Amino acid sequence: MAEHDAGGNVPALRAERLGKRYGKVWGLRDCTLEVPVGAVAALVGPNGAGKTTLLEMIIGLLKPTEGQVSVFGETSRAGTAETLARVGYVAQDHPLYRDFTVADMFHLGHAMNPSWDRKLAVARMEALGIPLKRKVKSMSGGQQAQVSLTMALAKRAPLLVLDEPVSSLDPVARLEFMRDVMASAADSELTFLISSHVVSELERICDWLIILANGHVQLAGPADGLLAAHQLLTVPRDTPGAELPGTVIHRTDSDSPSYRHSTVLIRTDADQLDARSHPGWQVDPVSFEQLVLGYLQHQSTPLTHDDPAPAAQRPRPNTKEFTR
Amino acid sequence: MIWVTWRQHRGQAIACLALLAALAVYAIIEGTSMRSAFSSDGLAGSCLARTQGTGCENGIGAFMGKFGSGVNIAFWSVALIVPGLIGVLVGGSLIARELEYGTWRLAWSQSVPRARWLAVKLALVTGGLIVLGAAMTAVIMWYRAPMDQLTGRLQHNAFDFEGLVLTAYILCAFGFAVLAGLLIRRSIPAMVAAFIPWLTIRLVIEFIFRDHFLAPLTTAMAASCYTQTGCGTGVGAVPQSTGRIGDLILGSKPGNLVSYQPPDRFWPFQFIEAGIFVALTAAALGATILLLRRRAAWSA
Amino acid sequence: MFRFRLDGSSGVPPYLQLVHQVRQSLLLGYLREGDRLPTVKDVAADLVINPNTVVKAYRQLEHEGLAGGRPGQGTFITATESPVVPETQAALREPLDRWLRDAEAAGLNAEAVTALIALARQDMRKERI
Repeated sequence: MAEHDAGGNVPALRAERLGKRYGKVWGLRDCTLEVPVGAVAALVGPNGAGKTTLLEMIIGLLKPTEGQVSVFGETSRAGTAETLARVGYVAQDHPLYRDFTVADMFHLGHAMNPSWDRKLAVARMEALGIPLKRKVKSMSGGQQAQVSLTMALAKRAPLLVLDEPVSSLDPVARLEFMRDVMASAADSELTFLISSHVVSELERICDWLIILANGHVQLAGPADGLLAAHQLLTVPRDTPGAELPGTVIHRTDSDSPSYRHSTVLIRTDADQLDARSHPGWQVDPVSFEQLVLGYLQHQSTPLTHDDPAPAAQRPRPNTKEFTR
Repeated sequence: MIWVTWRQHRGQAIACLALLAALAVYAIIEGTSMRSAFSSDGLAGSCLARTQGTGCENGIGAFMGKFGSGVNIAFWSVALIVPGLIGVLVGGSLIARELEYGTWRLAWSQSVPRARWLAVKLALVTGGLIVLGAAMTAVIMWYRAPMDQLTGRLQHNAFDFEGLVLTAYILCAFGFAVLAGLLIRRSIPAMVAAFIPWLTIRLVIEFIFRDHFLAPLTTAMAASCYTQTGCGTGVGAVPQSTGRIGDLILGSKPGNLVSYQPPDRFWPFQFIEAGIFVALTAAALGATILLLRRRAAWSA
Repeated sequence: MFRFRLDGSSGVPPYLQLVHQVRQSLLLGYLREGDRLPTVKDVAADLVINPNTVVKAYRQLEHEGLAGGRPGQGTFITATESPVVPETQAALREPLDRWLRDAEAAGLNAEAVTALIALARQDMRKERI
């Protein structure tokens, strides 16, 4: 659950101006983002945008060329035991040792992590109906994904990073996996950062959104707040950009000769909208998918990490009352 | 990490044990057979020591006829590449497999820094290979003991498997393969890419440099050799042209002189050759550790 | 036990859908004062949605005075709505179902039906004034 604070609490994750250069080419540049404690954050972007690279730097698997990462306030140093212990990770395609049994994998987890919760791991396998003696290679993709998730959860790290955890799974396995993640998110103060290139499946799951495209963070903030801060305008085609009541993110001009209009995704607030809208314009709330697509198509220089919506508008949930 | 290393190399360990067992079985069968032939051919007594073989020609001829080609030629040509194969098969997949299958993302994101992961693995597997090499050497030395009394141990087909060098060969092939695995990121190509230079170096050192590790000695050809048919150079000749068993004849010089290496140089030569291969191993593994630390990107 | 459903295509935010379902269930008598709502974890897992969404819904219900949380025990319905009695429900359902079938046969889609009902209510209000 997300605790959106204007300033007090330490975020679960803070990345400042992260960049990675390969030879002369910058794969990622100037990536700044924050994820609050307890959030389920979605990292979306097209394939090749650098999601995996960004996540690897966040975990400590890859050393950034520039910038720094801090997890729960502690600065990360790539490759060190302390940094690695702070984040649980499920890589894309959830790699496991195919010859190992589930019991072997848990033995590995215990051997390679200082705080490994074997009870949790075994309990999960029992709940999922996966015998400990089964070899990884004789499990379905969905089961392998579940074992990988278990490995990450049993590490007892407060931040969990999942890189495209469901892209190789069939729809049923996908649903079961995300169901599990939601149950884990509800159970404890875990923070999740989940990447995907399929936007639609993240909508119900995430309460924090990060959009990565062209090697830069295009947008980052609370999902609800960001949706509320954007509108989809339908305006006459020759309306100049300066007249629009907000920052234009993406504009599509229609070619239809009979209905000459433009659809514009703008970033705005209620006051601007009221003050500067024309009565003939159609203003619609923007959907999650439209928001993401708009930013992905937005070609110009990246936006800096923007402030989330003012504290008063955001709910401050405390789940302790509601959970059992 | 100890358990993890063991579990990941368990299959290889079992295969190596099986290989050792097969070798032992062969060695026991052939070795026992050799020993009984040795005495029945009249070579077990003092004849060899007294006459340096010139007095036991018939027995030597009979013995060599039975075992010469098997023990000296066949075994050697097959077993020549075995240490290299063991080394590259064990080493080629050590890092490459993780990169190939993407499990490096699993292995190196647990709470163990990758340098430590590698160091523990290398230490344990190297230790295992040393034990294997020593065991194989012991078995072969036992097996060859009767033949060694006729050929001496400087002969190539004895030298290559006794003392220290067998273990050193395995380690060098292993080191090359681990490094190749890191650079090439695919197991089988790494094994091939390591085996070829290993074999090249192996043969170059054996056939070009080994005979001259220390300056050869020169002596006149033994008078007895003018009349003996068994006397000469090379593996089947007992004694060698110096008239002694165990000398390694390198060539003849004008004036009926022969240049040779005496048998007491066996251990110095072993240390020199093993030293070369161990140094190569250390260089390869050291480079691997350094490169692993430095390499920034790991898209396999 | 009471179970939530989500309609992904309705355009209504998920948390509001949950709130509506509780309100409707109260009206129809499926939920009564003292009934316990499912835990946040159960709903999040059942519907595969962010637990925060459920929390938001439960907060909204608390705000409207319909439900409240007891720490350590869960969330319970606190309101007393006079629900529509099952007999009344059944009686009204018959002509309603018939009418809906007629509307569908006449070619009205869901939106047209809603529009027609809204128009009818408007007219009724005007009549009363």
